[in-house]
Amino acid sequence: MMDGYREIMEWLGLIVVGGPLLLIPVLGIPALFSYHLSERFISRAGQSVVVAGLLASFAILAIMLTSHSHQVPIDIGNWVQIPHYHLFLKIEFDRLSVPFVILSFVLCGTIGAFAARYMHREPGFNRFHLLYSLFLAGMIITSTAGTIETLFTGWEMVGLSSALLVAFYHERPAPVRNGLWVWSVYRISDAALLLASVVLHHASGEGNFDKFLGAASWPEGHTILTEQQAFSVGILILIAAIGKSALVPLSGWLPRAMEGPTPSSAVFYGALSVHLGAFLLLRISPLLEQSRWLCVIVVIVGLTTAAFGAITARVQTDIKCALSFASVTQVGIIVAEIGLGFRYIALVHILGHGCLRTLQFVRAPTLLLDYHNIENAIGARLGPNDAGHPRGLSEGWRTWLYRFALERGHLDDILIDFVVRPFLRVFEICDGWERRWTDWLSAGDSRQSEHARRTTTAPDDFL
Amino acid sequence: MAASIRDAAELLPSQGPITAFVFLNTLQALEGLPFAEGMKKGGRLFGCQVYLPEDRYREKLARGRILREDLDAELEEDLQHRGADVIAGLVTRKALWMAMLEFPLRFGPTEELQWFVAESDALQRLRSEMPDPLRQPFLNETRQWAMRDLRMKTSESGIHRHDVILQHNLFGDLLTRFGADNIEQWSDATWETFSLHALWRVCRHGAHIRDEHPTAAPLPVRHRDWMLRTTGEDTDHLVHEVLIRFCSSFADQGFARWSLPERNAGVFRSFTQLYGRANGVPHARMRGLAEELHRIERAALTPLESVLESLELLGVSADEWPEFIPATLLALRGWAGLLWQMEVRADRVPVPAPPGTLIEFLAVRLILERIALQSAAACHAIPVEPLSELRQVLAKKLHSPPPASIAQRAFLVFQLAQVLGWNAPRLFKLTKNEWHDLIFEIEAFSGHERRRLYHEAFERRFRVNSLDAIAVHAQRPAVRVKSPRYQIVTCIDTREESFRRHLEEVAPSVETFGAPGFYGVPIYYRGAADAHFTTLCPIVVMPKHWVTEEVALTMEDEHRRRAQTRKALGAASREVHVRSRTIAGGALLTATFGVLASVPLVARVLFPRLTSQFRRILGKFVEPPPVTRLCLERSEDPPGPENGHVGFRVHEMADMGERLLRDIGLTNGFARIVTFLGHGSYCLNNPHKSAYDCGACSGGAGGPNARALAAMLNDSRVRNILYQRGIEIPSSTAFLGGMHNTCTDVVTFFDLDLLPSSHRADYEFITRTLAEACERNAHERCRRFQSAPLNLSFAAAHRHVEGRSQDLAQTRPEFGNATNALCFVGRRATLRGLYLDRRAFDQSYDPHSDDSEYTILGRILSAVVPVCSGINLQYYFSYVDSPGFGAGTKLPHNVVSLLGVMNGPSSDLRPGLPWQGVEIHEPMRLLLIIESTPHAMRTIMARNPTVARILRNEWMQLAMLHPDTKEILIYRNDEFTPYTPITMELPQADSSTDWYRGWRDHLGFAQIRAASSSASDR
Repeated sequence: MMDGYREIMEWLGLIVVGGPLLLIPVLGIPALFSYHLSERFISRAGQSVVVAGLLASFAILAIMLTSHSHQVPIDIGNWVQIPHYHLFLKIEFDRLSVPFVILSFVLCGTIGAFAARYMHREPGFNRFHLLYSLFLAGMIITSTAGTIETLFTGWEMVGLSSALLVAFYHERPAPVRNGLWVWSVYRISDAALLLASVVLHHASGEGNFDKFLGAASWPEGHTILTEQQAFSVGILILIAAIGKSALVPLSGWLPRAMEGPTPSSAVFYGALSVHLGAFLLLRISPLLEQSRWLCVIVVIVGLTTAAFGAITARVQTDIKCALSFASVTQVGIIVAEIGLGFRYIALVHILGHGCLRTLQFVRAPTLLLDYHNIENAIGARLGPNDAGHPRGLSEGWRTWLYRFALERGHLDDILIDFVVRPFLRVFEICDGWERRWTDWLSAGDSRQSEHARRTTTAPDDFL
Repeated sequence: MAASIRDAAELLPSQGPITAFVFLNTLQALEGLPFAEGMKKGGRLFGCQVYLPEDRYREKLARGRILREDLDAELEEDLQHRGADVIAGLVTRKALWMAMLEFPLRFGPTEELQWFVAESDALQRLRSEMPDPLRQPFLNETRQWAMRDLRMKTSESGIHRHDVILQHNLFGDLLTRFGADNIEQWSDATWETFSLHALWRVCRHGAHIRDEHPTAAPLPVRHRDWMLRTTGEDTDHLVHEVLIRFCSSFADQGFARWSLPERNAGVFRSFTQLYGRANGVPHARMRGLAEELHRIERAALTPLESVLESLELLGVSADEWPEFIPATLLALRGWAGLLWQMEVRADRVPVPAPPGTLIEFLAVRLILERIALQSAAACHAIPVEPLSELRQVLAKKLHSPPPASIAQRAFLVFQLAQVLGWNAPRLFKLTKNEWHDLIFEIEAFSGHERRRLYHEAFERRFRVNSLDAIAVHAQRPAVRVKSPRYQIVTCIDTREESFRRHLEEVAPSVETFGAPGFYGVPIYYRGAADAHFTTLCPIVVMPKHWVTEEVALTMEDEHRRRAQTRKALGAASREVHVRSRTIAGGALLTATFGVLASVPLVARVLFPRLTSQFRRILGKFVEPPPVTRLCLERSEDPPGPENGHVGFRVHEMADMGERLLRDIGLTNGFARIVTFLGHGSYCLNNPHKSAYDCGACSGGAGGPNARALAAMLNDSRVRNILYQRGIEIPSSTAFLGGMHNTCTDVVTFFDLDLLPSSHRADYEFITRTLAEACERNAHERCRRFQSAPLNLSFAAAHRHVEGRSQDLAQTRPEFGNATNALCFVGRRATLRGLYLDRRAFDQSYDPHSDDSEYTILGRILSAVVPVCSGINLQYYFSYVDSPGFGAGTKLPHNVVSLLGVMNGPSSDLRPGLPWQGVEIHEPMRLLLIIESTPHAMRTIMARNPTVARILRNEWMQLAMLHPDTKEILIYRNDEFTPYTPITMELPQADSSTDWYRGWRDHLGFAQIRAASSSASDR
């Protein structure tokens, strides 16, 4: 490619990535000093970043199409460089990242405009938009990342903002509890991704996608890793994807994420965030090609998730949970498609699913009116549609299946019983040892603070 | 047992399906108690706030919405002669209470107060609220005392020996700390600090009193509360997780594709079936549930027996039931209330619940509670065998804190001492008994009582302002408009107040009336494009008649074609709705057409008004043809929904017509056109839409009622009967039914093709004046929308409100009846031209046309009192405690079971109004002003127990305006006392716009010149 192009591309890339990054301090720093930004300023700032970013990404697309270049890397430089190890920051525009960037901008932009009116006069208006900008920046960085470390940065930003948005109404216990749940699941997936990057460096000394996935542009690259290495890295990345995309067995967090305000549930968990795992698998798809067993596992995980989501969605009585399990179903299919090697189909599927689901989430409060209108048009009640019940099952099995679906496959209960509890138990045991040790050292009770009485609140009506 | 469950059920929220929002007093079950008592009890039962926080009232005090004289008058009324008692020789009770009202008292946990005293400038600077005249004496006296008494080691002035020692012990080191040697050189600041230190010490010393009768906080009754207090573990969390999921499946009206197995067998049976078998998945926190249910099933216990068994196992004795059962049901009050409504008002839901559902719910709930308690107790190593003694076991672990600590009490006196000018030497002289009196006096005037007084003072200020304004305005002769161009009857709704006012300004030759928006025609109605009948009448009425809309015969083919198209489109959209959530359909849909969804998404969010215009144009091709008729006349008895049974007999029509015309006092002086306007609200993405519709139509749009009444009165046979009964309607008079969309401010009419061509010019005048009134009304509404600039033109304001109704992202399409505070029953002429700021319900009634038994007023009040007080109190409670009584913010709402909303994925059902709908409300009891006499009221109250209960217990305020002498009487404590206006001045403005423009907040009353009936048409 000619140098002139190169320079233009670098500028455009800067707009795409830099805009959302700039938005974070613009909204965040005044808040640190308790300076109250006006609603109008906040939404204008968000809109201009999105419009600029969207135009720039369209320009990139146009240039790529006209110049027939399938891959435009933009190097930012080394963050760390020591012998045998370097942490390279790089963004890359190719046939995978450009559609994803455009999707992110379109959906985030629309929802940003939606939220500017929907959240009007809400005390957390600024906080919402700050988290939203963090999310947007995270999405863009993840999509355009050219190295696994850069990707991890965006991945973390998305995770952090998501968990905080779930717990947006932090004055009530349920959102906080569920926010914590989402955060914990995300940590598992983050840890897996981090491990993958460590293993990758260990195996090939590289975190750059164009190195370990081959220099050819997506999806034609061939990895330099051996099948063994590809499998171990792939499994770790799959775990990361399972957490982020709410695949079985970590699906339980998605309905819990509906605690936040409607726009955040819509765009973040229904449309963008939940596809990140699938995106990651697409990104490392050359690894899948290298290891057949990895593909088999990915397909199994995807199909199980799809089946689980489809069954569970059928008993949901509220619109947001029904939509979130419907999302789980489709993401499962997308993952299976990736496992089967249908890259482009999966990509189109992600784009289509993201748009449709966002529309459905945004219109979720209109459900009653929709049902009313449909009933009027059809001229009959839309009663329970028991035709959906599986045929040929005995009464007992139907009840079993219903309970299975109602309790969301018992996935969360199993996690609590077999992961959370043992995990806590280990710490309790360690705590017991420590207590004995400190008691012995202080020759008596070493933790007087534990006996402090809980202060009784609500003296208001007493006085 | 069943009876005590039914009693408890009365406390549950009475909200049925959210698609037919019903306004009722949230504390309706307590209406039998006087207001103040009901509020106290309700607050305790529900664990919610019943008044605003004190600071909010203090803000109102600062901004003149409450005056000191109001507080003074309320204290006077509350305390009467007790106000003059002197407390501890320091202050009268009234002055003490006044100080406690006026100056904020900080309070908190002991640790926090100690920190506050040590770390803030509480001991350095006198409170800024301290009145200036008290400052110098306060400091000087302390100074003198310190110089004179404190420095002297021995008594020279004959002070009792004991006192001297005490004084020395208390203050001895204080002087040293501040430097006793150079005491004469102390700066003013040092003296201030010293005085406060001394005061704090005296207070702490004095607060050492003994409680003879310590009033401990009431002990919790539910096991869960005991568990929560001792271990911090909330067993309800576990119970509700299962129960909410189960209840929403049980209540589901057909959203889920699979319905609950054995749903028709009732809650209890389907629950035991579903959870009674082991399913191979260990669920540690619910261990034992399956076995327990299995045992119950084997023992063949009925739900009621199971409740009794659970209560016994939990160790709840029969005398605890009246407290325990309500508390247990109220723990998940939204769902319990919904099940109860599905049971008792089975006519209001497509899939009702069988009788006994609430008992079954309680049985299931108690079983779950037992399991959850066992599991929680096991976690915290608390012995659970037997469960019946769990509360006693927990009671031993619970150290109930003393009512108030010394620091807490001392701090209260410390704060009050500053604003009342009591310094250390003065307080030091108090005896032990006096300290005792002082502290108990302060504690007796609790936060709840202070807020109650504040609230009543707030109501008083508004009452005084309203009655003064009405007293002045009513001096003008109340004459009806002479030969009006047309007459218009609207709903009594507060939203129509401004609409009528603007219309009267635009066209002073128009006469307006108000009546409950179902216009005395209670019906089940089905439109030409509707699938089912909706109930259009107040919730307390059960309609006896059915009315349908039919397309004119000439359009029959067209109608059939369009209905088929609609059906096909409906079926397709249903498929998309459902299939998009399935596995294969979803994959196909999203992978192929999914990206296209971005078009409507972007269009509807970014260009709502344009998109909706586009959609409307498309809609024109499929909606029913424009020429339709109501099927009003019945040929066969009895009335029913089937062909031939739909509609009324002629004499029934005449009865309804006569009744309404007499109610509003329109029995003569008919104009050429008389219009009835129903009202409804069109907005998108709003599960609470029906809360904006007509309250007198149980949350439906009242257009069909208005249309039906107009059609009846146009019928010559009906007119003949009315003529015989003394109402002569000229043949030149035509009635016209219409519909006012309160969200977009658009008026449409029905059956225009039947309007005689001779009335063409009159109709054009109507549309022209109404269009202008609508624009102005929209303009007045816009002043309350923060997102609408204050300088909009009329037309721009109208566009703005239209945009609001079509915006998916709009959470405040309109404000409904928020800010309602007044209800006037009387002649329009009395109030015409008075600016009431959309705060008044206005029912037309002519006192001179009533009989000696007050039949007309009686039947008006039997609807107006419960309906309006229901609306008013629903707004009241949804505002004072939005998360508790209301639905909280609507942003995380999630439509569930097609019946209600919950917060996020799983929460209690949220009945009540969302915060966005009540945001601008000012909570106060409705002030009902009736143009009649106390005698009339006494007669009616003796006849109608509901009206008597609400008014006598003061859930609504009442004032009478004498129709002739214009004397005002206020009804309180079951007595009518004359009211003397405080001012005879009332601001005047040329037009409403002149009065309200540029102002967002609440506005006072004013006389509007343009609206007087003598002004000429524009």
